[in-house]
Amino acid sequence: MGIIRIIGGDFMNKKLFISILKWILLLFILFFFLFPVYWLVITAFKPSQEWFSWPPIFIPSYLTIENFTGQSRGFEGSLSSSIENIVPYLRNSLVIGLTTSIICIIISSLAAYSIARFKTGGRRLASWIVSIRMLPPIATVLPVYLIFKNLKILDTWLAVIFVHLVLTIPFSTWVLISFFNGIPKELDEAAYIDGASVWKTFIYLILPLSAPGIAAMATLSFILSWGEFLMALILTSSAKSQTLPIFLGRYITGFRIAWGPLAAAGIVTMVPVIVFSFIMQRYLLRGLTFGAVKY
Amino acid sequence: MEKGIKRSAILMVLPLVLFFLILTIFPFLYMVYMSFHHYNLLEWKPPQFIGLENYFNLFKDKGVISSIDFTLLLILIALPIEILLGTFIAIFIQNIIGERFIRSVLLIPMMIPAVVAGVMWKMLFNVEYGPINYFLSFFNIEKIPWLGSSIYSKIAVIIMDIWQWTPFIFLVLYAGIQTIPQDLIEAGKVDGANRWQILSHIEFPMLKPLFWIIIILRLVDILKLFDIVYMTTFGGPGYATHSISFYIYKVSVSFGWDIGYGSSLSVVLLIAITILTTILIKTMRLWELLEL
Repeated sequence: MGIIRIIGGDFMNKKLFISILKWILLLFILFFFLFPVYWLVITAFKPSQEWFSWPPIFIPSYLTIENFTGQSRGFEGSLSSSIENIVPYLRNSLVIGLTTSIICIIISSLAAYSIARFKTGGRRLASWIVSIRMLPPIATVLPVYLIFKNLKILDTWLAVIFVHLVLTIPFSTWVLISFFNGIPKELDEAAYIDGASVWKTFIYLILPLSAPGIAAMATLSFILSWGEFLMALILTSSAKSQTLPIFLGRYITGFRIAWGPLAAAGIVTMVPVIVFSFIMQRYLLRGLTFGAVKY
Repeated sequence: MEKGIKRSAILMVLPLVLFFLILTIFPFLYMVYMSFHHYNLLEWKPPQFIGLENYFNLFKDKGVISSIDFTLLLILIALPIEILLGTFIAIFIQNIIGERFIRSVLLIPMMIPAVVAGVMWKMLFNVEYGPINYFLSFFNIEKIPWLGSSIYSKIAVIIMDIWQWTPFIFLVLYAGIQTIPQDLIEAGKVDGANRWQILSHIEFPMLKPLFWIIIILRLVDILKLFDIVYMTTFGGPGYATHSISFYIYKVSVSFGWDIGYGSSLSVVLLIAITILTTILIKTMRLWELLEL
């Protein structure tokens, strides 16, 4: 009784009390959403004899980085997937992601500025951009596969970059339009009166002012390209151009899977995405909901 | 001057328009053309015109029927659970200590590349050594073949979908609640409304457009579902967990290389998604968000 009176005493304590009750319920919810991530992380650091065991091992007896360095022995018939094997895929992912992000920013910021300031294309163009944003990847990539096959650019970085741009440009154009809308028009008009051209105004005035938005969209394009699976899967066929997700996809269909190294590769794929999306939360949400949510 | 500005404005959108003409419109027309042909890459024969036959075959195809079944299952079971759970969490964590922390942490399932999510769930669902079966053994439930039986594999995909997408719904609604003017709620309180009345008469009506966006985006995403199915069940066992995108992939790439038939399936999928998108654009007047 005494304890409850103390906890439930004045208003602040009552709030704390409710918070604690809510947290107990929340812990169940958080457990559901976070346990899978925890499992991936510990598996990546588990010694090989603890990958498979009954009961499963929730806290490894010791942590090892063998799964990352490729020293873990695995077992008979398992595919070894160490960092050493990952290197070409990592390189492909970086090249494709960075190039996609740079080209995406150039194309989308130009278009966004024009749409935001001069209403170029009006509602029709805006609606078209939304429709492209909603395109199912499988329907985009099927005909593109045939076209690229004829052009003989299958299994190259270029092929993957092209389709990843289809994914990222609509997203980033949309967010950048709303970003440019936030910059007062009077600034542009002042520049025109001083004799600057539209291009000069855009490059020397608008771009520096919208640097945070541009940086956010560059990052998000990179993340989208980094994690994309289906289109890259169809357009690539060798370590020459396959990205990290394809590496994961290839090893998981094997009969006996070396979980440790696979989890380690999963972490390498996941970490940049998680880090960047924490930083970019607000733009991310704005982009995903077409700007209906701003916070 | 005016004319120069206009020209620059058009030049600026030109790269985007050209890019999408070449990479979406032209391929789309090509795909429609292919859908009227018999074209199988394994046969090494040029496309052969067969009119609407591919489209007629859609209705007789068991694979199409089961992938539509599975899609409906996701829409009718996974989606309502995601919306309820997401709404619940969004309301529930208001004013709790550690609000920001939870918000950030729940971003993880949504942002993790779906292939990586597939890796983790495949480990969790493992029959012999998976932690999920271990937790169930506390309740004397025998080991469940999550990815091996046609019923459980469906449940497994539903669970993964809930895991992946509830956070998205939560985040959107949470952000939406933040934007409701505080004085509206205060006014409600002054007039003697209780928590539930405030929720149903003030907060929900203001969140309605967001629910609408969420539902349409999720419907489109369910039609696009591919990565996690590929990584965990690979559509199986049998046709049990073929999502529509996965079935198209299987027909036109992984098993059949039947590009003609795959194209006709894609055209139908595109039409469905275009209808949803048009509804979204028209009802939400999306262009107004851009001040157009």
